[in-house]
Amino acid sequence: MESLLEFALNYAGRLGSTYAEVRCRRDVSNTITMKNGEVQFSGFLREFGVGVRLIVNGALGFASTNMLNRKNIIDILSSASSMANASTSSKPVRFSNEKMATDKWEVKQKVKFDSVSVKDKVELLSDIDKIFRSKCDVKFPSRLFILNETLTEQIFMNSEGAVVRSKVPRISFSYILTAYTPGKGTAQRFNKKGESRGWEAVTSWNLDRLASEEAEILGRILTEGKKPPRGEFDIILGSEVVGIICHESCGHPFEADRILGREAAAAGESFVNMSMLGEMIGSERVTIVDDPTIPNSYGYYLYDDEGVRASRRELIKRGIINTFLHNRETAAVMGVKSNGAARSVSYSREPIIRMSNTYMERGEYSFEELVESIREGVYIKSFMEWNIDDRRFNQRYVGLEAYRIRNGKVTNPIRNPILEITTPSLFMSVDAVGRELSFSAATCGKGDPMQGAPVWTGGPEVRLRNVRLGGS
Amino acid sequence: MEPVDFASFAVNTGIRGGAEDVAATCIREDGKMIRFSNNKVTVNQAWHSSILNIMVAVRKRVAIGSVEDLSGGSIKKSIEYLLKTARITPPKRDYVKLPKGPFKYNVTQRLPPSPEGSNMIKYVEDAIESALSKGAERVAGTFLYRKVETGIATSAGASGYDNLSSLEISVRAFSDEESSGHANSCARNEKDFHPAQAGEEAADIAIRAAGPVQGEAGVYDVVLGPNVFANLVNDVVNAASAFNVDAGLSFMVNKLGERIASRSLTIIDDGTLSDGLNSRAFDDEGVPTRRTIIVDRGILKSYLHNSSTAKKYRCSTTGNAGWIVPQPWNIIVEAGRLSEERILQELDDGLYVTNNWYTRFQDYRRGDFSTVCRDGLFRVKDGEIVQSLKGLRISGNLPKILRNIVALSSERRWVKWWEVDTPTLTPHILVRDVPFTRSTK
Repeated sequence: MESLLEFALNYAGRLGSTYAEVRCRRDVSNTITMKNGEVQFSGFLREFGVGVRLIVNGALGFASTNMLNRKNIIDILSSASSMANASTSSKPVRFSNEKMATDKWEVKQKVKFDSVSVKDKVELLSDIDKIFRSKCDVKFPSRLFILNETLTEQIFMNSEGAVVRSKVPRISFSYILTAYTPGKGTAQRFNKKGESRGWEAVTSWNLDRLASEEAEILGRILTEGKKPPRGEFDIILGSEVVGIICHESCGHPFEADRILGREAAAAGESFVNMSMLGEMIGSERVTIVDDPTIPNSYGYYLYDDEGVRASRRELIKRGIINTFLHNRETAAVMGVKSNGAARSVSYSREPIIRMSNTYMERGEYSFEELVESIREGVYIKSFMEWNIDDRRFNQRYVGLEAYRIRNGKVTNPIRNPILEITTPSLFMSVDAVGRELSFSAATCGKGDPMQGAPVWTGGPEVRLRNVRLGGS
Repeated sequence: MEPVDFASFAVNTGIRGGAEDVAATCIREDGKMIRFSNNKVTVNQAWHSSILNIMVAVRKRVAIGSVEDLSGGSIKKSIEYLLKTARITPPKRDYVKLPKGPFKYNVTQRLPPSPEGSNMIKYVEDAIESALSKGAERVAGTFLYRKVETGIATSAGASGYDNLSSLEISVRAFSDEESSGHANSCARNEKDFHPAQAGEEAADIAIRAAGPVQGEAGVYDVVLGPNVFANLVNDVVNAASAFNVDAGLSFMVNKLGERIASRSLTIIDDGTLSDGLNSRAFDDEGVPTRRTIIVDRGILKSYLHNSSTAKKYRCSTTGNAGWIVPQPWNIIVEAGRLSEERILQELDDGLYVTNNWYTRFQDYRRGDFSTVCRDGLFRVKDGEIVQSLKGLRISGNLPKILRNIVALSSERRWVKWWEVDTPTLTPHILVRDVPFTRSTK
């Protein structure tokens, strides 16, 4: 395979490219889907192909094929080159100068995916399903479980000498539950666990216990949940909510390609611009990080898909806008170095700027300390519905597991409290940050064609002061 | 080898290996995409791929796989793996054998020649230039050309080939940092493809949207443009997929035969349309596609089925397989009687929403959701646009919105873009009492 990739790079040079890269990638994915206790299917997806990217006369071209022979490689290179030639611009694409890597990295599976039989995997899902079926006080009329494992192998080479080989296993368990109690209606819950590890990840998730807790919580929400209060309160947000906020309201608007308008047509732009670097956007308690190097994280990688070494980046540092997420193209435009944020989800997709594991840094407070000074407040631990505008300024999170706080104590559950707030107001309202950090797995959508990238979102619990609840 | 040959090879290999049912589709796709922003091309993308999708069933035990390496050895290995997996997978109670063929397919679509690279760039330039000439400051968008060939074979005797090509452009024009308009054009051939018109329409909305003020929360009568209703109707039709009904991820559970929308609303799925961007002669079980009325003058008439879900709901397949999840082909919303101009005039005091994004559900079963208004959002008084607004989202209930539709326009547009997966032909609609919310701080 490497000789074919070297051939591709050489041929790209003959077409007059000033830069060329090739990625050969194989994704082997297995999935089991269970609906209401019954396996719908066991399945697999095997993707294997080559993607090439060129700069020709200052224009960028990307092409891919899964028919791996010299003729097809020549075809796609010619296609990328001729289309790029036809769209030459007065503002040529440039890449920042970076140290190019020659390296190999791999995440080893302690327990390999294929060492656990399909039968055992189905039994695991059946056992989880039984937990929901055995609940008496609340019914679960619909239960959908998806167990997915993917092994990704890649070779990246470019015309500047980079050669990076990698092998990453990723495993995830997603579930959608509907709980129902006569007279109380329904409540729905979507959640996902995910890591870059072998089957040992699933063992560590303790899914039996997770299922019991979910069943208990959804039952309590339905049977005891009261209407949420409206007005201005102190609010504690759980790790799951803080994670999605860091992803949606910091990670996305700090993607430099959005800031420069490249995603304007689809995923949108950003309320943040280049001149805002150094400005205060949140309280001093707020530090938000994107770090692809967290071992076993769902968004883990050591080199990005431009051959740049991955690094931890502090997007917001003690309330100040500190840095953006860059690839080599945006870094060149803004006169900085790439911080290794270029990722592609398939051989057939161009690398674009992506988050990896985005979270709020932990603070010093225990949960009890966060709660104790609140006289009237609300604790939103998890969420179901959420969205944000395409400049990442106005957002809405509707709580799923949520409680009233009275006189420093968490009391009765409430149903569907709504937090609808602007990004700067939200970050400025943070007055205390907890010390327990945890993460959730998610799939982040961006790009055209759409690319769903594995990420973690996370944070500790945080306290917001004087925030209006209930929408308006 | 042609796509149908790969599919037949997979079926024969599966049957020889001991499968009772095998279906295979082989899809060959060529795509070319040009993305542009800030008035210039940002990247050209091209892809060329083949994929073989295989379903095997052994004693009602189902395994499904997709493989891109189409060598004989790879296909055989995949079938062996699928058979091994199927044998240790628990049986699916409602599985039924594949529908018995052969079937006769009406393949009228033929591939027009692919436009030259320079023509594609010309389309993009036309869209940009027409938007700029209308006064837009910046233009962004995506042009896409796709050519798809599909072959099918099943162990029940179905065998067929179909092909399709399409052109799409999505244009977003900006008149200032916060003011934008969006329009698109999509067609099966170059004759019906109008990128310059899309550029003009996007710019028109963007110019009108200049200088927006924060909108106020409240309950409004609204006109939803085709982009918005296409996005919502995609969710309506997904809720009609029998898989989602069965999984409880639908507000249509136990509603067949009941009124779920106003009398003015009729929604159809049609896989046979000659101008449909997602038409195909057969579904993944080899059943000829058809026209299925989902909602007829407000009454829920049918879910979308494959043969297994049809058995469960005691009806016939609607030709929408998906081996597991029935899928729509092209969504059609029947036209109303009012012109687009007239439908806006029906608003004494309300809002006109031209686009939306990020539709998310709080509870699929109840249909509670919100979606963020995007691009042109206008206050309308006495039928006239009086103010551009920003910062609002529709925070409502989908069944209630369907029940509150009072009029639809006679003109319709095809919509397909990033936020609308299934091509949808829809008019403007007028809806009463739609709740809008905004950020509180």
